Amino acid sequence: MNTVFQQVDISHYIYLSTVLFSIGLFGVLFRRNAIVLLMCIELMLNSVNLLLTALSTYMGDAGGQLFVFFIMVVAAAEAAVGLAILVMVYRNTRNTTVNFLSNLKG
Amino acid sequence: MSALLIVFAAAILVLFLGINKPESAMKWPSVILLMLAGLVALSGVDLATWLTVPESMISYSSMDRLFVALLCGIGALVIAVFDALSSKGSDRLGLMMLSLTGAVMLVGQENLVMMFLGIEVMSIPLYVLAGSDKQNIFSNEAAIKYFLLGAFSTAILLLGSAFLYGATGTLVLQSMTHKASMYAHFGVYPPMLVAGLVLLAVGLLFKVSAVPFHFWAPDVYEGSPTRSTAFMATIVKIAGFSALLRVTMAFEPMSLWYQNAVAILAILSIIVGNMMGLVQSSPKRMLAYSSIAHAGYMLLVLLLVGQAQFEADSILYLYLVAYSIASTGAFAWIEWATQRSGKMDFTMFNGLSSNRWAIVNMVIVFLSLAGIPLTAGFAGKYYLFASAFSIHPLAVGFALLGTLLSIAYYFRAFRFAFADTQESTPNAKFSWVLMLVSVAILLVGCAPMWFMP
Repeated sequence: MNTVFQQVDISHYIYLSTVLFSIGLFGVLFRRNAIVLLMCIELMLNSVNLLLTALSTYMGDAGGQLFVFFIMVVAAAEAAVGLAILVMVYRNTRNTTVNFLSNLKG
Repeated sequence: MSALLIVFAAAILVLFLGINKPESAMKWPSVILLMLAGLVALSGVDLATWLTVPESMISYSSMDRLFVALLCGIGALVIAVFDALSSKGSDRLGLMMLSLTGAVMLVGQENLVMMFLGIEVMSIPLYVLAGSDKQNIFSNEAAIKYFLLGAFSTAILLLGSAFLYGATGTLVLQSMTHKASMYAHFGVYPPMLVAGLVLLAVGLLFKVSAVPFHFWAPDVYEGSPTRSTAFMATIVKIAGFSALLRVTMAFEPMSLWYQNAVAILAILSIIVGNMMGLVQSSPKRMLAYSSIAHAGYMLLVLLLVGQAQFEADSILYLYLVAYSIASTGAFAWIEWATQRSGKMDFTMFNGLSSNRWAIVNMVIVFLSLAGIPLTAGFAGKYYLFASAFSIHPLAVGFALLGTLLSIAYYFRAFRFAFADTQESTPNAKFSWVLMLVSVAILLVGCAPMWFMP
């Protein structure tokens, strides 16, 4: 007996995760607050997790789910470093939008 | 495999032993440890026979071991050639070695999971290193730009990996080759395979800063502390191009499909890198554009993949040896000139010609970047262009044109150095390692065969 998740066609998962990824992508391109940018990047990573899990179940191959665990661990490490950098920037500029980041030009 | 373990152990050791020690105390021990790792990689001894690692995850061929030795050697060189910065702790040295661990992983990867892990282990310490000058607003800006764009490119690379996984049913590169040759045989490519390959390539091209994914590089290179910049410009390029080559080899059956795209990207990188390099007022920014142009030249190597008469990996290796030694040297000289004069633009070189030894060594480094005969840069460019010419003459034509343009901006530094200025020039000392860089450049330039496997 199939679970509910397996009854949904694989293409739906692909569309859903592509749409989620695109939301994250456009967020990164158009938002200016660094914390929102960080959230958008997390959304992109998690949409990939969803896609990998769905594909892994669909093909009956454990590799994709293994990949998901690595992505989650690395995403946590990345968020920690990113927030630390943001705190450092905030201490110097009292601001978290990326608009002020225009000192380097040439 | 042993080299990877040594680099990692050394990184942890330096991080913990150096908590309260000044960087100068840990500098030479870390250089020695990295040299040791490089020698172990060169010799190919397996120190960890008790450790069994699945071949489908990570494995080092003899060529990969040469890349690992190059990574360790350049890592040691970057640490040795720059003055110790911090007197409070040597965490930056530890971070550099952790980043190097990721680069070594990336060189040996056989699997998209390992590729992702390698890229991230390499990049995350680099985000910290870019911002390691905490009070400096430029360093802050470089760190946050590098972090946001790096994480963004990783997400794109991951979506590509997921699509490739969906299209081929495996994460192992070797099995992907079978699937790709099957599709190539019938001449139809499923959209998922195409999308996955394109996204994966975009993610990797971001890391090696090829046009049109280069826009972060000048800002990040200029803002970061010079030692971190030198590390980024060399280690990331070596590991990134080795990964790109690996992916290209895995999808070699589809080479007809992507060959023109690679050539166009290479031409664009060469044109944009060299044209923008001409108009910069800061030498560090100029070197950033020069590294974009070099990425363009190295992209030509990917055209050679699958051609039986050329060994793409050894041509790439020689080019990377030449590029990374000269690039480290150039950044080190810029740092030296900045400390001497306190300036950030080209006037930092004013009156340098009075210091004989400094100017001779500096000229050798910049000549090598430009690719003048008898230097390493010429050997790398010669083998690369001569082989790529039979595959794609147009791209090589642009590469030659770009090389000519690049001579103009490398020589701009000399114009300031030899200018007759009335300014008094303090006769600052420089370390003997900087002389070693020039000697290495001449050695590779005169006997490239020794360095070409």
